[in-house]
Amino acid sequence: MLQKEKLRRLLAGGLFFISLGGWILHVRIHPPSENASYSVPFIAGLIGFTAVPAMFLFRKTLAYAYVVNGMLVIIGTITMTHFSLAHPPETITFYTLIFHTLFPDVVILFTNFMLGKALFELEMLKTEETRSRQGRFFRYPNMGWWLVHLVALSAVYLLGHLFWQ
Amino acid sequence: MNRFFLWKPGWWILHALAAAFMLWLGHIVRFD
Repeated sequence: MLQKEKLRRLLAGGLFFISLGGWILHVRIHPPSENASYSVPFIAGLIGFTAVPAMFLFRKTLAYAYVVNGMLVIIGTITMTHFSLAHPPETITFYTLIFHTLFPDVVILFTNFMLGKALFELEMLKTEETRSRQGRFFRYPNMGWWLVHLVALSAVYLLGHLFWQ
Repeated sequence: MNRFFLWKPGWWILHALAAAFMLWLGHIVRFD
């Protein structure tokens, strides 16, 4: 087996395990049978450890996996940040912001994104000279594109939360 | 030929659906 193929399987395996772990934690903390909105992490997590790692293994679906994986990470980041804002620590200090919010959970979620990006780059962006990298920070598939989507999705989510009661 | 992305109807349809989904998500997720 080629080293690249082995790395691809290991990375997809890592993505599977971390997503499965996150999904089980979510189910344990708030089962979807208790509240309809708990089905959001249930479904997102289910997609995260089934369809996404599988899609990363095939070249035809790789680009879709990269986008779906990143969007799931963005949705998780937004909703967990929202939870931390809705339940802030009693006193706001650097310590409580790190240890008494969902900050560590969001940090763990970023691992999913990095694994997905590694899988994508391994197959699609073979060298630093690949055309889609050059001088186009805010264009797909570069990091600026994700940044724009994080900001835009957060803004639309906030609008829905504030004005659609 | 790759056309500029804003001239593609698929781009608008996808973004309209995504915006509707995020609005709905913001609407249903309540932590209070």
